[in-house]
Amino acid sequence: MATTKPRLSSFSRNLSAVSSSQTPGVKCGPNGTMFVSSGIADLDKILGGGFPLGSLVMVMEDAEAPHHMLLLRNFMSQGLVHGQPLLYASPSKDPRGFLGTLPSPASLKHDKSRDRESEQEKGLRIAWQYKKYMGENQPNFDSHRDNKQDYCNEFDLRKPLERHYFTRQRVNCVGIQDSKNLAALQEHCASFLAQHQRNDGSCALAGRIAIQSLCAPQCEHSNMDWEMLSFIKSLKGMVRSSNAVVVITFPPSLLSLSSTKRWQHMADTLLSVAAIPDEDKELAKLLSGYQDMVGLLNVHKVARLNTQVPFILEATTFSIKLQKRRFLVLECLNQAPVDGSSGSSYGTSGSCSGSSKAGTLDF
Amino acid sequence: MADTICRTLRDGGLEGEHAPALTIKDSKASPFGFDVFNYVLTQLSNYILAGKSQSRGLVVVAYSRSPSFYVDLLKRRGIDIASSHDWIHILDCYTDPLGWKNWLIDKDISQEASSLSSFCQDVRNLDKLYSLIIEQGKGLIGQGKDRFSIAIDSVSEMVRHASISSVAGILSNLRSHDQVSSIFWLLHSDLHEIKFTSVLEYLSSMVASVEPFNQAAFGQRVDLENLSMLEQNFRKGKFHVRFKRRNGRVRVMCEEILVELAGIKFTPVLSEDEIINQRLLPKVSIIVLS
Repeated sequence: MATTKPRLSSFSRNLSAVSSSQTPGVKCGPNGTMFVSSGIADLDKILGGGFPLGSLVMVMEDAEAPHHMLLLRNFMSQGLVHGQPLLYASPSKDPRGFLGTLPSPASLKHDKSRDRESEQEKGLRIAWQYKKYMGENQPNFDSHRDNKQDYCNEFDLRKPLERHYFTRQRVNCVGIQDSKNLAALQEHCASFLAQHQRNDGSCALAGRIAIQSLCAPQCEHSNMDWEMLSFIKSLKGMVRSSNAVVVITFPPSLLSLSSTKRWQHMADTLLSVAAIPDEDKELAKLLSGYQDMVGLLNVHKVARLNTQVPFILEATTFSIKLQKRRFLVLECLNQAPVDGSSGSSYGTSGSCSGSSKAGTLDF
Repeated sequence: MADTICRTLRDGGLEGEHAPALTIKDSKASPFGFDVFNYVLTQLSNYILAGKSQSRGLVVVAYSRSPSFYVDLLKRRGIDIASSHDWIHILDCYTDPLGWKNWLIDKDISQEASSLSSFCQDVRNLDKLYSLIIEQGKGLIGQGKDRFSIAIDSVSEMVRHASISSVAGILSNLRSHDQVSSIFWLLHSDLHEIKFTSVLEYLSSMVASVEPFNQAAFGQRVDLENLSMLEQNFRKGKFHVRFKRRNGRVRVMCEEILVELAGIKFTPVLSEDEIINQRLLPKVSIIVLS
């Protein structure tokens, strides 16, 4: 079987090499779907290619941390770099000001390989952290690096996006705080999506809609549960027949439980971000790489359009890290296994026999 | 740790950032929220007077106490009131919030207080209140790049006269105003639905909650056994703070409070209960086969 050398086998499918050359930033996927990048390479990998065109992505915010903004920024920047029109709605007084915080693609001199070996000795490999080392044996992404560079850029969060990106294209910013209800936003979305109607096969230009904190408390519509639900429903219907992706973030703690469930059901792709406690010694023992982590990302649902086959994820919880405080990476959690009987963690010693409570396991 | 809160309010916000906002919440079980509020107010006033803080003025929006109360409070804590015109202003939403009196017989308001305060006679119009606060604040700091702080007596009173979304609107607008350095408010959490408390926690960058010292003893009948525990609840409490830090992490801290006649005292907790946030992580366990 072609497990170690997929490229040489005649049975391998080079899906990622088939990209729509007319349309930058759009990749063909299985089952007739087309993907756009989320702006985060790791997230594209986790989701099986990116965000499918015509889908609704929802991100559940954590009231205690602004990590959803990181996801939004990368998403919006990626679209602007590819020249894809963008509609951005936010409850702040000056939505246009947010564009100034969008990250710029990193300069090519940056070393893209992740240096996982640097912190650890070559000889010692911790058994329960084996997943970290599996990534080294996969050469197939390197060969498509050129294509990958076009499809998904690595963004430097410390470098702001050049102004010409958002004055050249149509970037429409809408404030949702002051309007009485969602009718104005709905009109904006409808006219935006009408320009990206899906004709048979060909994809003119993909569009992106980013709505931040849809049920933010300072908006008057935030207590109109059914209005918000019907807005999302109509938006989902409109985006299905268009070449666009909609990303909506919302804080579920501000909605009733039944509303939250309904919103979650509406999503094609559902993600959530969570804050982690600071200077927590127990968590530092339990997780490796705790120092670099800023938060957690959970994948609850992955969009499957035109197919009934479910997408099975290996893991659903990922840590959000900022490499060199600039580059957003998502990593699988390397969690020390907890001894079922005594509840103590093996993370302190790093090896299976180092626990001081081994007395109960002596045979 | 309460000092950490005061220092964060003192340092204010960076350029382009929202101002730090503190929610102090208490409940009937441990009603010391107002004492904590007064403590924070006094500390911030001391910092402003000493010139150590980012803000150069303080606007107190007084809903549940009259301005003369605050004047007396500051006097008791040794702050010089006579020269206070240029750094503190009290917006009086207590005396006549709905404009029922056309003129005011100010027997209750002393001479000193009336010079430091101005009336707000329609608390239902939060847009007007917003512009009043900003106007008073700018009046304190003058032209230039200086900033001022805001203290809101209680948002529980504020929401009696206005909707949740308009209260959320005014608070977030105040936080995002360029000249506001920091803002803090008091909330009595058991007066509201959970949604309102969640809204305020969402809007703030620090949440300080006052909880009863002996959780189990509250609500029980007074017996000889739990009498001493109940009595402890009358003077002591627990103070939990959740900080939202700039790096996206949450710092959780805990202290004990003791309320005395002279004020409130904060002491560090002797035994630390470490709670592992297991709910965040998927459970991984090993099974030993024998």
